[in-house]
Amino acid sequence: MKTAQVGILIAVALLVQTTVIKIGAGGGTPVDFVLIVVVLTALQRGPVVGLWAGTFGGLFQDALSGGIIGVSGLTKTIIGVGSGVVGSRFILGTVWHRLAFVIGASLVQAFSYLGIYSLIGLKSPMVSFNAVGVEAGLNGVVAIVVPWLFRVMPAMFHRFRQGRNPLNRRRWTTS
Amino acid sequence: MPTQVGLETVMDRRQRTGYLVLAVVLAHVILISAQVNAAPGTSVLQSVTFGVFAEVQRWVTSARDGVFNVWSGYVGLRGVREANLRLNAEISDLRLDLQEQRALANQTRSLERLLELRETVALPTLSARVIAVDSTPYFRTLTVDRGRDNGVRTDLAVIASVGVVGRVVGDPGPRAAQVQLLIDRNAAAGALVERTRTSGVVVGTDDPALLVMEYVSNLEDVRVGDEIVTSGIDGIYPKGFRIGKVTNVEEGVGLYQLIHVEPIVKFSQLEDVLVVLNSQAVRSRAESE
Repeated sequence: MKTAQVGILIAVALLVQTTVIKIGAGGGTPVDFVLIVVVLTALQRGPVVGLWAGTFGGLFQDALSGGIIGVSGLTKTIIGVGSGVVGSRFILGTVWHRLAFVIGASLVQAFSYLGIYSLIGLKSPMVSFNAVGVEAGLNGVVAIVVPWLFRVMPAMFHRFRQGRNPLNRRRWTTS
Repeated sequence: MPTQVGLETVMDRRQRTGYLVLAVVLAHVILISAQVNAAPGTSVLQSVTFGVFAEVQRWVTSARDGVFNVWSGYVGLRGVREANLRLNAEISDLRLDLQEQRALANQTRSLERLLELRETVALPTLSARVIAVDSTPYFRTLTVDRGRDNGVRTDLAVIASVGVVGRVVGDPGPRAAQVQLLIDRNAAAGALVERTRTSGVVVGTDDPALLVMEYVSNLEDVRVGDEIVTSGIDGIYPKGFRIGKVTNVEEGVGLYQLIHVEPIVKFSQLEDVLVVLNSQAVRSRAESE
């Protein structure tokens, strides 16, 4: 059941990445939703789940992009395992800790991705440090905002149906 | 004693995870090495994933467009009368323009005949819809809803109404194909400065809103604002299609100028494109010209 959940999350992340959101030049989005799913899943469920989420998420991402199959798979596997190990040993309780961790993971992923391309002697697809920085920052923000929205939306919807102000901050939580 | 057993189990589990990580990493390294050494082509995993996922992407894009259309239809109803009046006025103006253009076209045709110019051969094209963008932020590709079944093949040119978009890469699926955009770092196209007919090669850069024209000698006259069009010598892109406008010209380090070109196509807003179906026609047209 948990495996299916992770699989569905990765499939949804890939769909959102490729079809739903079309921003930025080139038609692509500068946010890596698959990486966000891999990091958050690994933090919550440990290194083994992180490993498989990273492997399959990365491989499917490679297969759908124009690059070499395995590069994204390898980098996301390492990120998944690393995040799982960190998640099982430390508590990333605050928003700032999680934000910093996702930004760090994004930077590691981007530089290892470009590093592998350099190692195998191929022209790397993107080398702009600005683009890497923007992607890491956006990944961090999305990794904080989207789970928060999923947490507060049911309560907001409940309040809206009752005819009360759904944006009343003190009422966002259901408990 | 039970504590020691528990500790051993934890150690065993950690060791097993370690071996698993090592095995998966090794498998990836082997997979990457195999592709680097092998001849270029599309792997089975790539074809299957692309084929299956393209169908899901087509469905999701249709659903998304449906929702957007319903919403924009609703919003569009408001103020539709004012828009109607404005559009009617525009149609009247356009009809007048059309008359003038027809007169001009007739004049041009008769001039062509007079000069015995060869009539331009219309290229066979196929309209396609953009159903997805790249799955990573690193590459600049699109997926269109036409594939092998519609006659789409690798290396066919893809154009939009305003200019060149890119070319088909990889093995197209039965009902979908991947298009490498001209702004991808690995993309290139033969190009001409329209004003002076100076030729060069336009390539993608790190900046998605910028192209660079290479191999143009320092002695050539290129100015900011010059139109860049395809030269057709690459055998992929038909000759004379717009690529962009020169935004900056600098004397390069070696023999060549550093020319920045702003692409004419707004790649993030692309919805419909045309696939040029006959690459042979493109080649023969370029050769004959």
